[in-house]
Amino acid sequence: MQKTKTLIIEGKDSDGIRIESRLLEEHVQEAVEAGIRSLEILAAGQHGIGGRLWKASETVRIRVKGTPGQRLGSLGYPNTEIEVMGPASEDTGWLNAGASILIHGNAGNGTCNGMAQGRVWVAGSVGSRSMTMTKRNPRFAPPELWVLGSAGDFFGEFMAGGRAVICGWQPQNPDNILGHRPLVGMVGGQVFFRGPMAGFSQADARMAVIEEEDWLWLKKGLSEFLLKIKKPELYDKLAIREDWQCLVARSPMEKREVARRSMADFRKGIWDGELGKGGLIGDLSDLDMSPLPLITTGEMRRFIPVWENRKFKAPCEGTCPTGIPVQQRWQLIRDGRMDEAVNMALSYTPFPATVCGYLCPNPCMGACTRGSALMAPVDVRPLGRASIAAILPVFPALSGKKIAVIGGGPAGISVAWQLRAKGHEVVVLDQSKELGGKMRSVIPESRIPKEVLDKELERAASVLPHIHIKQPLTRKDVERLRADHDYVILATGASRPRLLPVEGGERQISSLEFLEKAKADAIRPGKNVVIIGAGNVGCDVATEAKRLGAESILLIDIQKPAAFGVERDEAEKAGAVFRWPCFTRAFTKKGVLLEDGELIPADTIVTAIGDAPVLDFLPESVLVEKGRVMVNEYGQTTDPRIFAIGDMVGQGLITDAIGAGRKAAQAICDMAAGRLPEMDSRDILKLERVHLEYFDPRVPAKEELGGCGSQCASCGSCRDCGICVAVCPRGAIARKEEKAGGFAYEVDANRCIACGFCAGACPCGVWDLHPAVPLA
Amino acid sequence: MSANGQIIPSSLSISDLPWQIRWNQDKCTLCGSCTAVCPVNAIELGVFRKREITAGLGLAEKPASSQTIRYGIRQRTSPAYACVGCAMCSMVCPNDAILPERNDGGDKLRFHINQGGQPRSRGGRRNDPAGLLDQIKFIRISMLTDPALDAGRHTFELNTLLGRVLEPRDALKHQREHGWMPPVREIYPLVIGGMSFGALSPPMWEGLQMGVAYLNEELGMPVRMCTGEGGCPPRLLRSRFLKYVILQIASGYFGWDEIIHAIPEMKEDPCAIEIKYGQGAKPGDGGLLMWHKVNKLIAAIRGVPERVSLPSPPTHQTQYSIEESVAKMIQSMSMAWGFRVPVYPKISATSTTLAVLNNLTRNPYAAGLAIDGEDGGTGAAYNVSMNHMGHPIASSLRDAYLNLVKVGKQNEIPLFAGGGVGKNGNLAANAAALIMLGASGIQTGKYIMQAAAGCLGSEQDRCNICNIGLCPKGIASQDPRIFRRLDAEKVAERVVDLYLAFDMELRKILAPLGRSTSLPIGMSDALGINDFHAAERLGIRYVV
Repeated sequence: MQKTKTLIIEGKDSDGIRIESRLLEEHVQEAVEAGIRSLEILAAGQHGIGGRLWKASETVRIRVKGTPGQRLGSLGYPNTEIEVMGPASEDTGWLNAGASILIHGNAGNGTCNGMAQGRVWVAGSVGSRSMTMTKRNPRFAPPELWVLGSAGDFFGEFMAGGRAVICGWQPQNPDNILGHRPLVGMVGGQVFFRGPMAGFSQADARMAVIEEEDWLWLKKGLSEFLLKIKKPELYDKLAIREDWQCLVARSPMEKREVARRSMADFRKGIWDGELGKGGLIGDLSDLDMSPLPLITTGEMRRFIPVWENRKFKAPCEGTCPTGIPVQQRWQLIRDGRMDEAVNMALSYTPFPATVCGYLCPNPCMGACTRGSALMAPVDVRPLGRASIAAILPVFPALSGKKIAVIGGGPAGISVAWQLRAKGHEVVVLDQSKELGGKMRSVIPESRIPKEVLDKELERAASVLPHIHIKQPLTRKDVERLRADHDYVILATGASRPRLLPVEGGERQISSLEFLEKAKADAIRPGKNVVIIGAGNVGCDVATEAKRLGAESILLIDIQKPAAFGVERDEAEKAGAVFRWPCFTRAFTKKGVLLEDGELIPADTIVTAIGDAPVLDFLPESVLVEKGRVMVNEYGQTTDPRIFAIGDMVGQGLITDAIGAGRKAAQAICDMAAGRLPEMDSRDILKLERVHLEYFDPRVPAKEELGGCGSQCASCGSCRDCGICVAVCPRGAIARKEEKAGGFAYEVDANRCIACGFCAGACPCGVWDLHPAVPLA
Repeated sequence: MSANGQIIPSSLSISDLPWQIRWNQDKCTLCGSCTAVCPVNAIELGVFRKREITAGLGLAEKPASSQTIRYGIRQRTSPAYACVGCAMCSMVCPNDAILPERNDGGDKLRFHINQGGQPRSRGGRRNDPAGLLDQIKFIRISMLTDPALDAGRHTFELNTLLGRVLEPRDALKHQREHGWMPPVREIYPLVIGGMSFGALSPPMWEGLQMGVAYLNEELGMPVRMCTGEGGCPPRLLRSRFLKYVILQIASGYFGWDEIIHAIPEMKEDPCAIEIKYGQGAKPGDGGLLMWHKVNKLIAAIRGVPERVSLPSPPTHQTQYSIEESVAKMIQSMSMAWGFRVPVYPKISATSTTLAVLNNLTRNPYAAGLAIDGEDGGTGAAYNVSMNHMGHPIASSLRDAYLNLVKVGKQNEIPLFAGGGVGKNGNLAANAAALIMLGASGIQTGKYIMQAAAGCLGSEQDRCNICNIGLCPKGIASQDPRIFRRLDAEKVAERVVDLYLAFDMELRKILAPLGRSTSLPIGMSDALGINDFHAAERLGIRYVV
């Protein structure tokens, strides 16, 4: 066979039966191997015609007539030129590595799929997924696809190289020559096209300007293409530069740009445009909705720090029945204002030395915050005793209101003292010659030095008129007093001792009688003393009995002795023995006979089981319930003009009686001024607000006033230490002098972030965070 | 509290708390940000006394003790102030000096949270990290047996239908005899489940709606969002965006007068009406909007007084049987829009789901059924309801679907499934699993809260204070001081992000299955699970 001759290869055998693709391929390869360089194949649907002709080094020309099968020219070699005289099937030029393929009709789906080199000219249109997965190898010229008509759907997917030219001449769809969703995943190459299209993958490709160099290439290629497909007359129609457009792949950097409308733009233009200014609820709320940072100041803080100076009672103040703000007195001492600290007491009690310094069991100290950390409470007794020197305040002129106080004990003196201090005219009526009640008559001198008590009673007597009434009070007396005065205050105490109603009851003596006689040295109790009732009064009896010569002192009780504090200590020091439970059957000449038959020898039997009030003089308007006068929180009885306070209402500590006097006086002052009585309703500061970490738990209890003052935590009262100023991370707190004297700490709302550090650090628990007022 | 205070039964130490604050003194600058931002005031400035004892070697010098005061961040231990683990402190700390850590020793707070005889209630979730949906695999991979699809380049028809889809013969008959065809909507299969305006803050709700509008109008995704039960702002009712909205009516009937007044002025019909009978995460507990959140705005939209707690009764007050509930409610709601709007009930998944479904199949006006499983949940409820009540979605949905298959109506009544979809982040996988078990669409709420707005909740009981208005992200608060932390626009952007990502993931699941022309509803041969009993129960393949 000669190289110049064209060899015709039949796709069918002599019987007209289509030969297998494998056999046709063998014929072609054999021919080429034999030196044939021009072939004409009468195809009958065979696969892969014209590919893989690497056995020849010269150009091999293949003309295909009939019907080629799929993958015409696949794995094509650069020496190969294929011309199909009609249409081509699927995957023409698949993995083309250099062959030139000319199709005079349409080409099917997948034309040029995976093509890396070579050129493919199609005189008609190409099917879907053409020019997909194309490559570009820098060692060779890029692949080219020329299409006169249009491209099918999904054109150019994952195109990585090469040039495609879609001329749009007599396209299959005149509205869209690039088909549905072209160029998805495109990463390289160019697509030149002429005519309308319906979008492409914006994420992967972009329109590009056709540069001069491109245009020259396009014109040249177009001319060649049209000659090859024998339509040179179209050149003038197609080679119009402004009709052409170009698509290129986006670079990875360009792909990062999201081709979405910005939400801000959407909100402004579309959202607010449809809904109106302010969006969804712009018509319902005029609240500023702009974004806020996490840490806010001013009105946008969720909490507001408040300097709650003296808004709460210190635990000492709150538990003191008299209500003395002890912490404020220590502040004065720390400030070096000793006199003021001492004098201040007299506005709360006429007996600061007697009671706070000696007789009171000091509930204030029991409640002292320091106790919660096992620290010794601040000792108030030295301060109490120092108050003996308190200077009497100047009392105001009389208001015209007249008040009678019946009873000159602690309660009566307290209420009269307070009322006089407020300028009301008071008179104290008492059956004793001198004021003082049980403090004077019953409490042993071992408990309270006579000169201290005398001095304080004299101080009270110096401002309180006293009428000594010499016969038992009657109902008529009280009614008359009521008629003559604006208010009457009953403070007659508990003066009727309770005795045991047992056989031989006449042999007992009441503690009240015993202590009165003892104080006057008018009784000799003998060697053996048995005290029924082991409370604090019983202890006083024991102490006095010892002083008066008793040798064996026994306190018996039916239950665990209630005695506590100094009284009990003193009784034990006096050698008194406590026994319980002991149930008394009778008193005999020899002593106390118990239920179990035991006889306790006794020379004197003292019954200390409490005293009851005498109530037979009460007017009918004053109601009594279960042996007690009915009173409200400030001592007012069912008769609004009659008050009852002190032990006659219910037995308690002396400080209870003094406190009751203060409250009644406050109520009367309010009522006299035409106001509803208003008591101090402040709560006690919560323990956890005070920070005892500032104090040294190793320091022993102080006794001198300065030392005590330094140990007071000043619960709820600002000690002006300035820690809040120092600790505030925003520098928002400042100390301000007040015009009326004093000071305050203030917060600059525009600096404060409501971190609460002020509250966290404040030693006194003065700062607190309050929830901000809700916004609309 | 003083370190040596008296203890009470509910005295807790830090080690008893579920979340413990780790604070680093060396890094802390005491700037106050952490205590300022803490939603529950779990931390405060503490005063510490630091003692140092010095003694010389050989005791040559007299030993001495000195003390100084220090300041630092202290965790409070009272149950009322227990740390919720939200970690906003870490978020604001400029020096990374503070961080809450989960107590892995078993907390004791759970035994003391019921102070005052009030059992714990909370917002949020079921707090169960496990879940069946995550175990389901897609085992049918197109290996030459089905069309080879590429999620990236092929087009997928993912939309679903909401409404009664009659078979052609019935449809024609219906049209001919009744002159009416049931309304059907073509929508995206992932619906934002009902979270009310009130439960959610204004920027959260607006952000969701804005994101949905964007998806529809800019990206052509017909995403729909259910209002939940709290009414609907009047402007939205009168806007074209209403067509993206599924209005919910529930037992509280909040805000319905506003809706009725708006009907004559509506530019568009709503997408659908959802009648809520139950919430899967807290069945029987009803809705509960705590008073903290009922401010002027919420009160106005709901038509109630300000600052009152708003319980929705667990049941509708005037409906006494399934037949009546279904018939009466669907009729009323259909009538309101001239039978142009699909109306469907939403129920908690329950062992009695089929009873409801059977009633719906007999009612030509019923547009579908939404079934809400026990997992997930965004509402406020009692602990016991969230933790111990409810039915898992998978088997409830599967039973319902197979029942429809049995009566030949599986393409007629769409089932929408919800409850824990995406609770561990696997939104598309969970959704696809439910679709292949028989759901026409998915409702999700919690995933949206987390992905669109940064909800801090986890399945480990983190934060969960949505119910008391203190949501640190501003998602579930009505306090402008808090909710203004959230920017509606940013929420909307995230809604768009998560939908686009979901869409891609769903295609990544469907492509290997060779399904692109329609959602593979009920294509259970694609599902497998390595739990034999679950496989048996769901009628899917057991794979090991």
